[in-house]
Amino acid sequence: MTDYIIRRFVQSIILLFFISMLLYVILNLVPGGPFDMLRLSNPRMTQSQLDRLNSLLDLDKPLLPGQYCPRIGDMQEPCRFDQGRYLRWLGKVVQGDWGKSWTIANGKQVLDLIWGRLGYTVLLMGISLVVAIIIAVPIGIYSAIHQYSIIDYLVTALAFFGQSMPTFWTGLMAMAIFSVALGWFPTSGVRTAGSQGDIIQALGRIFTFGKLHPEMAGMEWKYIADGLRHIALPAGVLVFFNLATWSRYTRTSMLEVLRQDYMRTARAKGLAERFVILKHGLRNALIPLITILALRIPSLFGGALITETIFSWPGMGRMLIDSIAGVDWPVVQGILVISSFLVVFSNFLGDLAYAWVDPRIQYS
Amino acid sequence: MSSAITPDQVTSVAPVAVRKIKSESQWALAWRRLRRHKLAMFGLFTLLAIVLVSIGADMLAPYPYDEIDLGSAYAPLMTPGVDGAPTHILGTDKLGRDILSRLMYAGRISLTVALVTTILTMLVGTIVGAVAGSFGGWVDNILMRFADLMLTLPDLPILLILSSSLRQNQAFTQFLGSNASVIIIIFILMVFGWMGVSRLVRGSVLTLRSQEFIQATQALGGNRARIIFSHLIPNSIAPIIVAATLGFGAVIISESALSFLGFGVMPPVPTWGNMLNEARNSPLEYLFTQALSPGFCIFLTVLSINFLGDGLRDALDPRLKL
Repeated sequence: MTDYIIRRFVQSIILLFFISMLLYVILNLVPGGPFDMLRLSNPRMTQSQLDRLNSLLDLDKPLLPGQYCPRIGDMQEPCRFDQGRYLRWLGKVVQGDWGKSWTIANGKQVLDLIWGRLGYTVLLMGISLVVAIIIAVPIGIYSAIHQYSIIDYLVTALAFFGQSMPTFWTGLMAMAIFSVALGWFPTSGVRTAGSQGDIIQALGRIFTFGKLHPEMAGMEWKYIADGLRHIALPAGVLVFFNLATWSRYTRTSMLEVLRQDYMRTARAKGLAERFVILKHGLRNALIPLITILALRIPSLFGGALITETIFSWPGMGRMLIDSIAGVDWPVVQGILVISSFLVVFSNFLGDLAYAWVDPRIQYS
Repeated sequence: MSSAITPDQVTSVAPVAVRKIKSESQWALAWRRLRRHKLAMFGLFTLLAIVLVSIGADMLAPYPYDEIDLGSAYAPLMTPGVDGAPTHILGTDKLGRDILSRLMYAGRISLTVALVTTILTMLVGTIVGAVAGSFGGWVDNILMRFADLMLTLPDLPILLILSSSLRQNQAFTQFLGSNASVIIIIFILMVFGWMGVSRLVRGSVLTLRSQEFIQATQALGGNRARIIFSHLIPNSIAPIIVAATLGFGAVIISESALSFLGFGVMPPVPTWGNMLNEARNSPLEYLFTQALSPGFCIFLTVLSINFLGDGLRDALDPRLKL
């Protein structure tokens, strides 16, 4: 088992290396740079000034290791070997220096920016996923046990509907109905205007036993309640979307298990039906769901990106859209690194969990 | 982007078209099974209706899609037209353009993008999968590891980046002309869409490769291209059709998502996605009427496709029934 973990871990690191290289190259083949605006606003700027600025940011170095021939204006310096921008960037990233934002938050450290947004995205994704699974798994089990019943058809229909409704439409409609027409929930944002704190800060204070945000003492629950009112609509939209997928997966997986011989054996030895379903059926049906959960993390992230944009939720997804629109490549790179790390890491965890819960898997 | 394909779908592909006569009866059988699938027939006819309305938009649309009438902006549903002009059944948008007419024209773009993307994706995926499966060895290894790598990339963020940066490239957009944003979106969706199909085709090629009729072709002197194109691909066509159908729905959603976020097809060319983007930016009291119909078009199209795909899966291979 230890060998298996180590091997999968090394594979994940290698995969992450290739993914980050591919992403870096894609981003850097793209036209546009940090000085585009400067150059537009300052037509007297000369090419050699621009070259000097570019060389300060290493933008004139080759992407991958190779020959580097520095050129400032008309001056040509002798060529030498350079490790390339990718390796230089990777070295810094590993040391915790993720560069500085070019445009959206001029000069701020990318890592700080991401750190400030990560909590909001994790909260939104986490709540919606957990709620969706809690509702979907029982629904899936019920409709598998009562296959071809009316409830089963309803669940299947719901799954089809949910999968065919894009989150950007359900989001807009939920906003139009529940906040504009009925006024039940706020339309956007994470806290009521004028509020001094929000749900993430309040949770941070609670989890650090009052070390963070001393000014919020005694107000935590008020901020959390306010935050929950704001998260209800975006999370509800994501729950609806995930519900469709998860109830269908659970149903399929459960149907597969119900056909197995060990189910008949369990019944034959006189176990109560309830016990057979939950202990022998459900536990085996959950195994494939673990892998699916791991594989679906990227699409969850994509769904959160759209939902965050609709409801102005200040998460990483919204920051990504802003930074792409603002040609802020260091921030974009940072978010891509985090999200590919999430993806690779969740695949790794998925494999481990799979090997751990399913004794039939051979590690060698 | 990629449709989920389980291993048992891959392995249980029946070797369908071995002889000419038998293959015809297989298709007839599949059609008969499909006709019995009520939801699939509902999907098929709804889809046909949507396609026909989009094609006939020039004749059917009550207004040109870009006729601006600032006096009647954000008109509600069923607003009578000015001076005996046709009724704005679904209201008008921020520039007073008739929403129903725009929906019809938008359908053209959205469906064309989805159709072209799906065809190209299937083509690339099939060729890559067939080559990987029939060559085997290091070719297979490199192609499939590359597909794995592509599957691991977070696709939506990269689609946004590529789309925004390709559009900023002056030389590129001038070369492509006025349809640049449409062509860019097709290209990007294709680059990130071929992996699922290639895995599927590779799987079925691997199971077919060891069967006698392939060996017979080899014995009769058929070369590799002949084996790939006249035996392996026709025999794995059933799962490709199912994947293409479901992929078509996924492309409609992806294209709308990109256009919705403002990184897809650009106005004034209307698509369902960028109409939703305009709805989002309209004053909140008009949000409902503005967002309702474009989103419903996406929903109805994708739902029909999913029904049809489900029916096709059952019809083309009864053993795959879930």
